Amino acid sequence: MEKFEPVIVAFVCNWCTYTAADLAGTSRLSYPENIRLVRIMCTGMVDSQYVIKAFLEGADAVVVSGCHPGDCHYINGNYKARRRMKLLQEMLPLFGIQQQRIRLTWIGASDGIEFAQVMARFTDQIQRMGPLNPELKPEKITAGVS
Amino acid sequence: MTASKTGGNQEAKLKKIMVDLLSRKIVDDVLVPMPQADKKSVMPALVAAMDDIDRAVFLGPSFLINTARMAARISHKPSGRKTAVWMRPCEVRAFKELVKLNQASDTEVLILSMDCAMAPDREAFDAYGQAHETDTRAWTAAVFPDPLASALEICGTCRACQSPQAADADIQVLLYGIDGGPVIRAGSPKGQAAMDLMTMVSEESPAARDTVVTALGRAGQEAFEVMALDTAQVTDSLEKLDTFFSRCINCYNCRTVCPVCYCRECVFNTDVFEHDPAQYHLWAAKQGTFRLPSDTLFFHLTRLAHMSHACVGCGQCSRACPSGIPVADLFSTVGRHIQKAFDYVPGKDTPPPFTAFNTDEYQDAVGIE
Repeated sequence: MEKFEPVIVAFVCNWCTYTAADLAGTSRLSYPENIRLVRIMCTGMVDSQYVIKAFLEGADAVVVSGCHPGDCHYINGNYKARRRMKLLQEMLPLFGIQQQRIRLTWIGASDGIEFAQVMARFTDQIQRMGPLNPELKPEKITAGVS
Repeated sequence: MTASKTGGNQEAKLKKIMVDLLSRKIVDDVLVPMPQADKKSVMPALVAAMDDIDRAVFLGPSFLINTARMAARISHKPSGRKTAVWMRPCEVRAFKELVKLNQASDTEVLILSMDCAMAPDREAFDAYGQAHETDTRAWTAAVFPDPLASALEICGTCRACQSPQAADADIQVLLYGIDGGPVIRAGSPKGQAAMDLMTMVSEESPAARDTVVTALGRAGQEAFEVMALDTAQVTDSLEKLDTFFSRCINCYNCRTVCPVCYCRECVFNTDVFEHDPAQYHLWAAKQGTFRLPSDTLFFHLTRLAHMSHACVGCGQCSRACPSGIPVADLFSTVGRHIQKAFDYVPGKDTPPPFTAFNTDEYQDAVGIE
C-alpha cells in the first residue's frame, strides 16, 4: 500500500520559528515535504479562520509555531495565540477534527535542529493517524470550501 | 382570580414604573417594547412621551430582536441623556457582554429586567398574534406564575434556558411563583437609588419563587442536555455539519441578529470573499463541482470560533433563519462547551476570554509529543 503523505500547514512566526526553519535549511538539515510553511509576522495574528480554512481545504493537520513565552517580539502575541489554539482544540473536535491535528509549539530562532526534529515527529504522528477523513476531500464538502 | 385580571395588573404596574421614572426625571426616556402597525409584532422603541407608555407591552410573547443591540446603539457614546432599558434576562447578558467589549455603555443606562415571559417559535408566535394581536393577557396568564406548567408553546431555546429569572439588572421584576402582581427588587445601588426616588420599597424574593426558579433551572438543564446530545449527533463530523447547513443560503441573518456578533465590518463582507470570476471557474475545474454560494461552512465555523464563548442562548439566530436551520441549537451547544473550557459565563463581570491571558496557563494546548 502506498504510504500516506499528509498535508500539514505550518503557520510560523517571522522572528522565531521561520528563522529556525531558515537555519535548518542553511545547516542542510532536511524536514518532511509534508510541511507547508506559511510565514506570518506573529502567532498572535493567526486568526481561527486561517486554521479552519486550512482544514476545509484538505489539510490533515495544522501547526502554529512561534517564539517561546516571554520572547514574543510583539510582547504578548504568543500568549494570545495559546488561548486561540486552546479554543480550536476544544471546538474542532466537536466536528471530528481531533486535537492531535491542531498543535501549537514554541521553536526559537536558534533552534534549527529542533525545528527539523519536531516537524519530522509531527509528520510521523499524522502519518500514523491517517487522513483527517479518507472520504472527506474538499470536493466532497458541498457547502464547505471556496 | 381571572387570568385577564392578573395579566392586566402586571402590565399596569410596569407602566406605572416607567411613567414614574419619566415624570420624576430619573431618566429622560425609556427603551420599551411597543406594538407595531401590524398589531401583532412588538419592537423596542425609545419612548420620551409619558402618554405613549400606555401602549407599551412588557410581558408578551414577541421576541423579534435582541434588545441588547438596540441598547448598544443608544449608549455606545455618552449622550448626556439617561435611559431606562427593559430587557429579557438573555438580553441583559448580551448587553453586559457588549459593555465589556466597549460596544455599549451602562453609565447612562438603568437596566430593568424580569422573570422571563419566555418566547414561542415563529409559527406559534404568528398563531398567538392572529388570536390576540398584541394583547399579552392570555400569554402572561399561561406563563406565570410557573412556565413549566404552561400549556402554551414555549420555543425550544427558551425551554433549554437555565437562567430565565431576573438577575444582573438594576431593577428586577419578580413574577415566578407569585400570584397576582409582581414583586420589585433592587439589584444594584443604582437601582436602589432609582427606587428610593420613586418611593418604592425593594422586596425580597418570596420562597415560592425560589422554588420555581430552582425547578426551572433544573428543567432547563435537562432540556439543554437533550438538545445538545441531539445536535451533536447530527453535527459531529464535517460531513454531518455539511448536511446540517445544506439549506444555508449565506444570507448572514444569523450574524445580523446575533447580539454578541459585534464587528462593524465582518470579514465575510470584505473583498476577501469577493473572488475574481476566473477563480470560480478554476475551482470548478479543480474540484469537478463547486457549490454557489460558497464558503458556507467556513462562515459558520469562523463565527463559532469568534463568538460562541459569548453566546447568551437567546435563540434569535434560529428565528432569523429563512431556511429553518436550528442554528441556535448548534451555537448554544458549542458555546456551552467553550464557556466551560474557559470557565466563562457570559453576562458576568469576568473579562472575555480573548481579551485577556495569563502567562502560565493552558500548558496542555502547547507542544508536540
